[in-house]
Amino acid sequence: MIGKLIFTRLILAVVTLLVVSILIFWTAEVLPGDIAARVLGRESTAQAREVFRAKLHLDRPIIQRYGIWLGGIIRGDFGQSLVNDRKVVDTIGPRLKNTLIIGLVAFALYLPVTILLASLAAVYRDRPIDSFISLLTLIGLSMPEFVSGTILLFFFAVAIPIFPVMALIDNAKSPLEALRILALPAITLMIIMSVYAIRMLRDNLIEVLDSEYIRMADLKGMSRRQVILRHALPNAIIPALNVTSLNLAYLIGGVVLVERVFSYPGLGSLLVDSILLRDVPVIEAVTLIVASIYIFANLFADVMTMILNPRLRYG
Amino acid sequence: MDNMTSTGNSTPLPAMPSFRQVIRRVQRLPPTFLIGSVVLIFYLILALTGRYWAPYNATKTGTGPPFSPISAKHWFGTDQLGRDIFSRIVLGTDDVLFLSLSGTLIAMILGVPLGLISGLVRGWFDEVFMRILDVIISIPLLILALLVIAAAGSQLSGNSFLLIGVIAVVYAPRIARMARAVALNLVTSDFVTVARLRGESTLWIILHELAPNATGVILVEFGVRAGYAPILIGSLGFLGFGVRPPTPEWGVMISENRIGIVTSPVTVIAPALALALLVIGLNLFTDGMARILGRSTNQNP
Amino acid sequence: MIKEIITSSNSLLHVKDVSVDYWSQDRWVNVIDRISFDIQTGESVGLVGESGCGKTTMLYSMVGYVRPNSRIREGSVLFQGEDLLTQSKSKLQHIRGKLISIVPQNPTTALSPGMRIGKQITETLEAHHWKSEKYNAENYAIELLKMVSLPNPEKILPKYPHQISGGQQQRVLIAMAISCNPKLLLLDEPTTGLDVTTQAQILDLLTELRAVTGMSLLYVTHNLGVVAQICDRIGVMYAGYLVEIATRHTLFRNPSHPYTQGLISAVPRISTPNVKQSLILKGLLNRSELPAGCPFAPRCDFSLPRCMEETQELISIERDHQVACWRWQEIPSFTERISRITSEVPQQSTAEGWNGQRSLLAIENLRAGYITERVGKTYKRTPKDVVEEITLDIRPGETFALVGESGSGKTTVARAVSGLLPYVSGILNIEDRYDLKMSMRKRSDDMLRSVQYIFQNPDASLNPRQRVSLIIGRPLQKFFKLYGEALRQKVIRLLADVHLDASFYDRFPDELSGGERQRIAIARALAAEPKLLLCDEILSALDVSVQANILKLLAELQVERGIAFLFISHDLAIVRSLAHRVGVMYWGLLFETGRVEEVFNPPYHPYTYLLLSAVPEPDPDNVMPTVRMDTGLIVGAKKMTCPFAPRCPVKVGQVCEVDQVPWQRVSQTHQLRCFHSVEQLLFIQEKIA
Repeated sequence: MIGKLIFTRLILAVVTLLVVSILIFWTAEVLPGDIAARVLGRESTAQAREVFRAKLHLDRPIIQRYGIWLGGIIRGDFGQSLVNDRKVVDTIGPRLKNTLIIGLVAFALYLPVTILLASLAAVYRDRPIDSFISLLTLIGLSMPEFVSGTILLFFFAVAIPIFPVMALIDNAKSPLEALRILALPAITLMIIMSVYAIRMLRDNLIEVLDSEYIRMADLKGMSRRQVILRHALPNAIIPALNVTSLNLAYLIGGVVLVERVFSYPGLGSLLVDSILLRDVPVIEAVTLIVASIYIFANLFADVMTMILNPRLRYG
Repeated sequence: MDNMTSTGNSTPLPAMPSFRQVIRRVQRLPPTFLIGSVVLIFYLILALTGRYWAPYNATKTGTGPPFSPISAKHWFGTDQLGRDIFSRIVLGTDDVLFLSLSGTLIAMILGVPLGLISGLVRGWFDEVFMRILDVIISIPLLILALLVIAAAGSQLSGNSFLLIGVIAVVYAPRIARMARAVALNLVTSDFVTVARLRGESTLWIILHELAPNATGVILVEFGVRAGYAPILIGSLGFLGFGVRPPTPEWGVMISENRIGIVTSPVTVIAPALALALLVIGLNLFTDGMARILGRSTNQNP
Repeated sequence: MIKEIITSSNSLLHVKDVSVDYWSQDRWVNVIDRISFDIQTGESVGLVGESGCGKTTMLYSMVGYVRPNSRIREGSVLFQGEDLLTQSKSKLQHIRGKLISIVPQNPTTALSPGMRIGKQITETLEAHHWKSEKYNAENYAIELLKMVSLPNPEKILPKYPHQISGGQQQRVLIAMAISCNPKLLLLDEPTTGLDVTTQAQILDLLTELRAVTGMSLLYVTHNLGVVAQICDRIGVMYAGYLVEIATRHTLFRNPSHPYTQGLISAVPRISTPNVKQSLILKGLLNRSELPAGCPFAPRCDFSLPRCMEETQELISIERDHQVACWRWQEIPSFTERISRITSEVPQQSTAEGWNGQRSLLAIENLRAGYITERVGKTYKRTPKDVVEEITLDIRPGETFALVGESGSGKTTVARAVSGLLPYVSGILNIEDRYDLKMSMRKRSDDMLRSVQYIFQNPDASLNPRQRVSLIIGRPLQKFFKLYGEALRQKVIRLLADVHLDASFYDRFPDELSGGERQRIAIARALAAEPKLLLCDEILSALDVSVQANILKLLAELQVERGIAFLFISHDLAIVRSLAHRVGVMYWGLLFETGRVEEVFNPPYHPYTYLLLSAVPEPDPDNVMPTVRMDTGLIVGAKKMTCPFAPRCPVKVGQVCEVDQVPWQRVSQTHQLRCFHSVEQLLFIQEKIA
């Protein structure tokens, strides 16, 4: 039964991705009207625009253009950059790798920090430590990542120069150095993901701690520690898994800003540059890749929830 | 029909409370609500009166040496072009408030009715509508905003109306989905069943059964969204897609002044704090409002 | 199992002057006040009272447990010579679950949802360092499940809680509770959410376990029938006070506190059905309006000014009988008060005179069901029959009750009649004939008006954001075009009809008590001037005394207005007192219909017998049959032509599973479906009895 459920979700994810691709294509190439004029500027010659149109197949009908574009993507060809004539794939490849690295490091920091702080807040609810964590998360929620990043940068790279100002990962000579370079941007991303998740998990935990089965476990004569580790945490974390999808959205949005703050050569800064330069194929490629990462990570979180929840596992 | 009101659910005006009663009532409000209100009123005053007392014109360059530190003349120093940071922060308030609130409001006006109706009528309309929403929501918020800006092109870049539009487009689907969930939840309740068994029209049910119960959730949703809007505007400004310079905008200021962070950190910290405090104020206010209405703010942003 | 030797008059646990407060807004509010009582070794003590009386708080504070914003202000709980309320946390851990165990109210929420049953049991054993030479933990868990009569214990161990039924879950919790041979078992309404048949089995199990292990029981419940059946001594609580405590025979024969008298008389009984007999308990337990003295004084028929000021202490009035009322000698005895009431001639609507009248509602061969819909990311729509082959008719002014366990399809029938379900066949006869097939959207105003639905839970059926004036006024606007002063007058008249005064006009539902809300829901239904009222478990969310008052109200309204009721209830005693005719349903089929006295006395159909024999009567002399032939509800089994066949104690044979079950006529008004003939059923019935 669960296999079928996962399969439906998978199909749904693929369909969603397909529609997203239409949406991206439409927004990037159709909505703006005459792309040639947009990209080359109004002063460009008619001849230059013609050459440009041919290069982008702009003379063909829209549906055909979409077909060509999508067909290329399926073959792994995202077209050519309008700015430097390089293949988009070649530009994106290393950037994608960098972004994935920083995302994974942030994620690895995020999990323990969130679980620890949320548990502390829930177990000592309404005590000073809970209020303190609540205040911290509130501040975190109110600080956009470019603000928290800049502040971290100021303190730990400028005032006390432990970490580099620019996260030039490509120059890293050893993994340890890479980690030092990654530390500040990853912590910034971790903060932005954790603050929301901590509040959510705390609320979930408190709900679970108030539940009758926790009271029963207490009254069975189990120690508080066992009750929390065996009954409260597992039951609170599973529903909180859904927050992960939300956090991925933060992560992806955050990556764009954090890469900017630390001049990190990832997908986010590539997207910003390509929008400024109106490099349509790169914009399309990056947004599509980002959307697919998001969609499939969501799918993964959904499936994990299903597998971990006995209610869904055994009908 | 004018008799309707005498028996309808319109709340009659309560008797004027005494001063002491007012104090007591205010004391009973959640502290977050009170602090949030104070912060918001402070910003409103800045936005409305700032232009009359701000020490300098926001765009006036050379009011002092570049990146001059804190002084009596320049409370928060000056930026690279010698513009007064304090004046720029004060005069940037009205823009961020106006853009955030109007963008969120438009998103609510678009999203809430669509979501409520979709949840109420169900059927194929609902399914198609939800699919489309799911697709739009599956593009992360900031990426979607950037995509819309990219589509709008260079002529519109930096235009306030573009920013309002971006906020509305990005928020509306998420708000619609929330409203739909609210409607679905209410539609299955017994009191709506009773109304349906009485043969009430869909409009009557929306106005008299759903709306009064949905307002709390919708208000909280508005607060949560409006609280994030300044962050979105600031982020876009920081990335260079916000309000067109030299108009003062906190996100742009943080971005511009980063090169001076070593010599004059206050030029970065001050707009950052201004933004953070506004968002904290909005969040506290919403949290307090949610407590008063008995809801939780921790719903999906 | 180690058997304890029962030593007589040996106090196992002594509760002395326990008071508990909870923090409300800005001050401590008293929940229970100086309660004292004993539990002897091997004894079974009951604590009864209506919701909010503090009985559950009492139970949990006995093991030193209070809710987060509460405190035990004073008192002691002496257990084996030690005060549990002053014990350290770790000491309490060793006592809880080992020497004193708890069985909670709602088994579904009390088991950890993400952990296998077996693990939850062995975990308890580990916590108390359980050791045995004979068994390992797993085998012992199987033994425990056998002790609580769970079939196939090996198969239950690896299951998750949601995979077994509520009755099975409760058995698992009992198994867990007795795993370390406790001296005392504290039971907090352990059968409240369960069907009456399951309840009977759990009660049997408890009686048996008590006999085997010699442990003491403290049984907390609102159900007087249950305590009458299984408790030796019973304490009655009111607003945080223990107002009376006595042995069960004394308590039921000679209740001496006015509250106990009212409570006992308010419980409907199957053996002596008469609504009019109950003493009226006026008003409600409202904690904010309690006087400084006796908390019951404002509701008491015998209260004097002194009662309002002077707190009442429990005083011994005879051996094993204590009452907290200084006027106990002056108050007429229970039997005297009851006899005085019965001498007042009750007005009764009679079933006579209906014969020959055209029926109001005629349902023939009704099939109805739901369209299941999965809300979420995938949508599926398949019609699913819930009830089939239902044929019944209701005459004007008559009460027809549908009874059966949960899941029998009672509610589905009511929803089908109201037009809420997509497909239905049958006829509704109101002046003209209406086709019930019409969904509510197609029904005319007149038809909508004629059938009114009252839901189980008034909290959900009243819009929390509407004032009473709109709730009751809207049907008047819609159906009778009443506005302005005329509307206002009519709403106030309707309020008066349900015994509420005009001050309720501007209130919101959350300013009302549960009973008042249900009255508002009734008034709203009456506003439409219906011919037929569909009452879906409308009393089950209410306390006994409130129930009695609403029952009385319903009977009055019926006599005055000649409304017919389709009354759906799982409570056979209420049905016995209110209904004229009754239909017994099981798994979507109607098995027996007839006048209530014909169906109940004696029960012919084996299912009706099972239901009736499972009802605990609030009468210690009317003992439930202990030999239960019921195998219990079979979950997930295939539905046979006679769905009752797999559970039937007198199943005929193969024929029950394949052939269409025939209707048998017992009398002009009474028929049932079974393969046995009526004579055979009567014979079987006499043999059992």
